[in-house]
Amino acid sequence: MLTMTRRGFGGLALGAGAAAALPFGGGAWAQGADIVLGGSIPMTGVFAFAGIGIHAGISDYVKIVNDAGGIKGRKLRFAFEDTAYKVDASVAVFNKLVAQEKPTLYYGDSTGFSKTINPELERNGGMIMAGASFASELNDPKKFPLQFMAGPDYTEMVGILLRYIAKEKPGAKVAFVHSDTEFGRDPIATSEKKAVEQGLKVVEKIVTPPGSVDISTEVLKLRRAAPDFTIFHGYVMAPIPEFIAQAKQMGMTSRFMGTFWSMDNSMVQKMGDLADGFMGVMPYRYYYDTEGNAPMLAKIRQMRPEYQSTAYMQGFLTAMLMTEAVKRTLESGQDLNGKTLKASLNSIKDFDTGGIIGVPISIPGNSIPVGRIYRADVQKKLMVPASDWIKLEA
Amino acid sequence: MRIATAKETYAADEALFDTAVQRVWFAILLAALALFPFLADQYWLFLAGLAAINVISVTGLNILTGYTGLVSLGQAAFMGVGAYTVAVMEARLGTPVLLNLLGGGLVAAGVGMVFGLPSLRVKGLYLAIATIAASFILHFVFANWTSVTRGVSGINVPPAAFFGMALDTPFKLYWLIMPITVLLLLGAANLFRTRVGRAFIAVRDRDISAEVLGIPLLRTKLTSFALASFYAGVAGGLWAYFFRVVTPESFPLLLSIFLLAAIIVGGMGTILGGILGAVFMTLVPEFLKLLVGFVTPVWPDAAVHLSPVRTVVFGAMIVGFLIFEPQGLAEMWRRTRRFFHLWPFKT
Repeated sequence: MLTMTRRGFGGLALGAGAAAALPFGGGAWAQGADIVLGGSIPMTGVFAFAGIGIHAGISDYVKIVNDAGGIKGRKLRFAFEDTAYKVDASVAVFNKLVAQEKPTLYYGDSTGFSKTINPELERNGGMIMAGASFASELNDPKKFPLQFMAGPDYTEMVGILLRYIAKEKPGAKVAFVHSDTEFGRDPIATSEKKAVEQGLKVVEKIVTPPGSVDISTEVLKLRRAAPDFTIFHGYVMAPIPEFIAQAKQMGMTSRFMGTFWSMDNSMVQKMGDLADGFMGVMPYRYYYDTEGNAPMLAKIRQMRPEYQSTAYMQGFLTAMLMTEAVKRTLESGQDLNGKTLKASLNSIKDFDTGGIIGVPISIPGNSIPVGRIYRADVQKKLMVPASDWIKLEA
Repeated sequence: MRIATAKETYAADEALFDTAVQRVWFAILLAALALFPFLADQYWLFLAGLAAINVISVTGLNILTGYTGLVSLGQAAFMGVGAYTVAVMEARLGTPVLLNLLGGGLVAAGVGMVFGLPSLRVKGLYLAIATIAASFILHFVFANWTSVTRGVSGINVPPAAFFGMALDTPFKLYWLIMPITVLLLLGAANLFRTRVGRAFIAVRDRDISAEVLGIPLLRTKLTSFALASFYAGVAGGLWAYFFRVVTPESFPLLLSIFLLAAIIVGGMGTILGGILGAVFMTLVPEFLKLLVGFVTPVWPDAAVHLSPVRTVVFGAMIVGFLIFEPQGLAEMWRRTRRFFHLWPFKT
């Protein structure tokens, strides 16, 4: 019978450690002319639901590129590691991949990571980076010259919602409900001013801890304010269903809206009947969308017959835009580095994403200020378009 | 086998390194630490820096929890105080890096003493809950005292400068972090050769008896809180230079639990335990990633499927240590040493 003594266990642990330490100073080095897309991807932890989709989206686009012969004959390779959505782990992965794989493209997993790594990104100068963050602070080409985001920033997302509201119901009363986090607070102050500019009235601002479920007093406040539209930001799911449930029980007629991370179809449909009429801003078409000419969506459905999340679309589009930047840089005969890649990215004008975004896009700065309002249809169990594509002025 | 180590004086008996062999090994360790940056790549230098910062904070917590018996879940918040102090001093005042780190340590020590006040009335789990208050209150201060902390968006920290040279890479920062870590560890080890350190141990073992022996409880406990928070403050300051951005979300309650787990895994009440625990908790997840990396050439999707397993294995390893070696990694190390001391005789 196998028994383990204390000494045996210690020996095993030390042995495992020693074995793990073997690749010290070695590892898989960049192969010849491969173009490496590095990634700090949250495959575990609180953001794993998105990380798994992002990983699949990037991997699929990389496969499409390589199956078509690569970028100007050079293979695109996705090298990533799990970060568990921790900034220190993300930075460790970045340092590891930079030392061992020499990436020219990088995907980061959080606002914290994007801000933390920015000085090193500039010092390194060899790559451009995008990621899961849509933080408004990152949408500043002067402060973050080598970064971009594959969609509108959070302020622009709320701006798109406000534009829709102002058109649907001029002079409407709006309430903001946001989490007490950097993510939650991000667009609120600026959006209040934008709402006034659009002729809307901000009647209430409610701050809650993220994931909080005891929101009964906040719902009472919301009821007193009686907004026509309530915009949630800084949450993935909870406490949005609780808010909607209690508000509906109190007879409120407000329409509830969310931003990108609370708009995945599978998540929204988990709310059941409460989701009916829930709306929000989405920069990409949904997986199942067959409207118009969308060859890339058809390709995705061919590669993966089962539903793919909005995070998948985000990863897919990010890889597409990075590839386009590399292609343009190589075509112009320039070296691949952060500056040339970013300049190539910014040269993208009226670009067809193959239907991932429903209109041609341009990236004059660090974001793509385009989105569309979608509404939950509980009967169909789908998010369906509620507006045309809305482009904000850059 | 270890022979001829009889002590003739009390000073020799109390020495940190009591044999020539120990002194030689310590010199070899210092030489290895000095050579390390020239052999390791950016990744390993980053991990070494992160592990060293954690070692400092864990050592501080070990002084408080391991040596004085006061359980605290506020260590991460005190690191935050140090980090914000350094960030403000560096970004706004432009004061020298060593002064900033000292300032970070002292401000954290002051704040730690305030939150240590309940320790006179409550101990054990009750004190742990009381110190959680530090996490919540300080997080609120970091997020809302916007004129100083810049609120939720935090403070961007310029690189530390030493004689005009910007310490902006893991290689350069190593030369700031590692010497400070060694100095603070030597300080902590020496502390327990003094009356103050022994008073901590007396309070831990039986506070009423310690008071009967003439040890002032309040002063001793607050001193322990101040020292632990000083270490946390310096660690937080180094963290600010290391990551260059300090936000309210940089020092969550979960980090305090991580630090507490490190001293339990490493071995409470020993300096070596704190070091081993911090290094274990920082590096083992990375080593597990390397193991996943070995499988990747034959199983390309290994990282996707094994990432959750890796987390479970890490948790299981911690549980395994607690079951098979409840006195921590330090006890394993002691047993290994004892084996060589007595070799070729059976231990």
